[in-house]
Amino acid sequence: MSTSTLKTHAKNIRREIVMMIYNAKSSHIGCSLGIVDILVGLYFNVMNIDSKKPQLATRDKFVLSKGHAAAALYATLAQRGFFPKEKLAGYCQNGSYIAGHVTYGSLPGIEATAGSLGHGLSMGVGMAIAAKANKLKSNVYVLIGDGEFAEGSIWEAILFAGHHKLDNLILIIDNNDFQIMGSASKILDLSPFEEKLKSCKWDTVTVDGHDIKKIISALKKPHPKKPLAVIARTIKGKGVTFMENKPEWHGAYPTEEQFKLALSELK
Amino acid sequence: MRFAVVNSIYEAALKNKDIVFLTGDLNHVHEKEFRKNIPDQYINVGIAEQNMIGIAAGLALSGKKVFVYSITPFVTMRCFEQVKSDVCYQNLDVNLIGVGGGFAYGQYGNTHCSIEDVAVMRVLPNMKIVAPSNPLEAKVLTAQILNLKGPTYIRIGRGKEPMPEKKYKVHFGKGHYISRGKDVAIFSYGPILTEAEKVVDALGKKKIEATLINMHTIKPLDEKLVLKIVKHTRTIFTIEEHSIIGGLGSAIAEIISERGHKTLIFKRFGVKDIYLKEIGIQEYLRKKHGISATKIVSLILTLVR
Repeated sequence: MSTSTLKTHAKNIRREIVMMIYNAKSSHIGCSLGIVDILVGLYFNVMNIDSKKPQLATRDKFVLSKGHAAAALYATLAQRGFFPKEKLAGYCQNGSYIAGHVTYGSLPGIEATAGSLGHGLSMGVGMAIAAKANKLKSNVYVLIGDGEFAEGSIWEAILFAGHHKLDNLILIIDNNDFQIMGSASKILDLSPFEEKLKSCKWDTVTVDGHDIKKIISALKKPHPKKPLAVIARTIKGKGVTFMENKPEWHGAYPTEEQFKLALSELK
Repeated sequence: MRFAVVNSIYEAALKNKDIVFLTGDLNHVHEKEFRKNIPDQYINVGIAEQNMIGIAAGLALSGKKVFVYSITPFVTMRCFEQVKSDVCYQNLDVNLIGVGGGFAYGQYGNTHCSIEDVAVMRVLPNMKIVAPSNPLEAKVLTAQILNLKGPTYIRIGRGKEPMPEKKYKVHFGKGHYISRGKDVAIFSYGPILTEAEKVVDALGKKKIEATLINMHTIKPLDEKLVLKIVKHTRTIFTIEEHSIIGGLGSAIAEIISERGHKTLIFKRFGVKDIYLKEIGIQEYLRKKHGISATKIVSLILTLVR
């Protein structure tokens, strides 16, 4: 798939995200926009998946541990053909199953529930162990936020995966350096990521989280006998200039005027 | 009970490659056999219980039936949110084995006791709770749980509980009669049932006939049996090695009060809403907390006379 096609997918997904969050008057627009290029890399190139057979035993799996960026995953799955885009209208609506945080069983292609931070990597570890026990070549991809890295359970899982040489596990850290109350590195500095992870027996690579080709190549980096962590440098709110690097777009939803302006940037 | 539970799982795991046993670095029987014969179905996750439950959920999401083994507080409360969101909300085949319910580890201090576990597990939708009182019940209930879907919490003792002299039938979800009497009814579960039996004997000597029900399955509770007994016996007691808040006593009180049954006397014998600083063996702490047979009998006698 050409870079321009991948970029078109990313733009379409961003447009859906803006519409979903505007219609639902919900939150997490900045967080969702920021991970789109990573998801496009995963779902349109890297992962071995069949959108028509979402339960195929041999599939690769993706766990969105920062479950609040759910809109991005729903829009990506729709763009990839897991279900019709019309379903996205149910996002955060009364009576719908499509919650603001990803919920297992709500839509085809969702592999695990997440929302409370720090849970997804352990579940990904369990999936990676199961794949090995079942002699499958499947990979498990888990995306966490850099703020989420402060959760102790993440470190329990990091230590375990390194010790057990889970080379079918790939962790992606959405490194936008923002959390609710400001700069992640100022609130609790977790850098340097690579050195910390290497000391826990992981392979690592840092990449521009908005260069889809580079993301793909980073996710495909050979990492024999080690799990791989991809530190993706991202911009919260990427693609809508007035939202970029503005922590207030963690919780806010756009006004009608802002909504129109955002869509005009995503044509 | 520890042997009975783990042995049942090991035997089943030999025949079913999808059964996985995780321990949080807590010793158990058959460790060598697990490692040697079914290494892909066994992991000592290390001292990291939140991760252990998350891993269990990931395995279950991949079609595995998982048993997680640790001391009671660490497999229920340390990782409570993982149990809530990863296991119960997703309704996965993850079974928690909590060793040393109540005061089994009383000498070690409060960190290793668990008088809150039934309450916190009971509030979780999809969670089932069993608390066998001896190795026979532990074996049979584990075998039955192996055929059930979704999560279960198995609350067991520390391992010194004797095998009953006579065999009897045990059914998940069904309480059973240990004794039948018309004057009072007592509901209990777990190793403290031996004290409840002493209570029944002592009351018998005072010409008070007691029904004693072993409620080894606390959730789903055998509501039908509770209502049947309440209909005929208006003096009801519960005995448990657990807080009086949220355990079996609360569960039975909820049923009785919602159904509008008029009990003449109802009392929950359990651990009052306090943490004692004193430590001691199980029997010692039962006495201290007023849930030894002697203390219960004397209080029942003052209530029914």
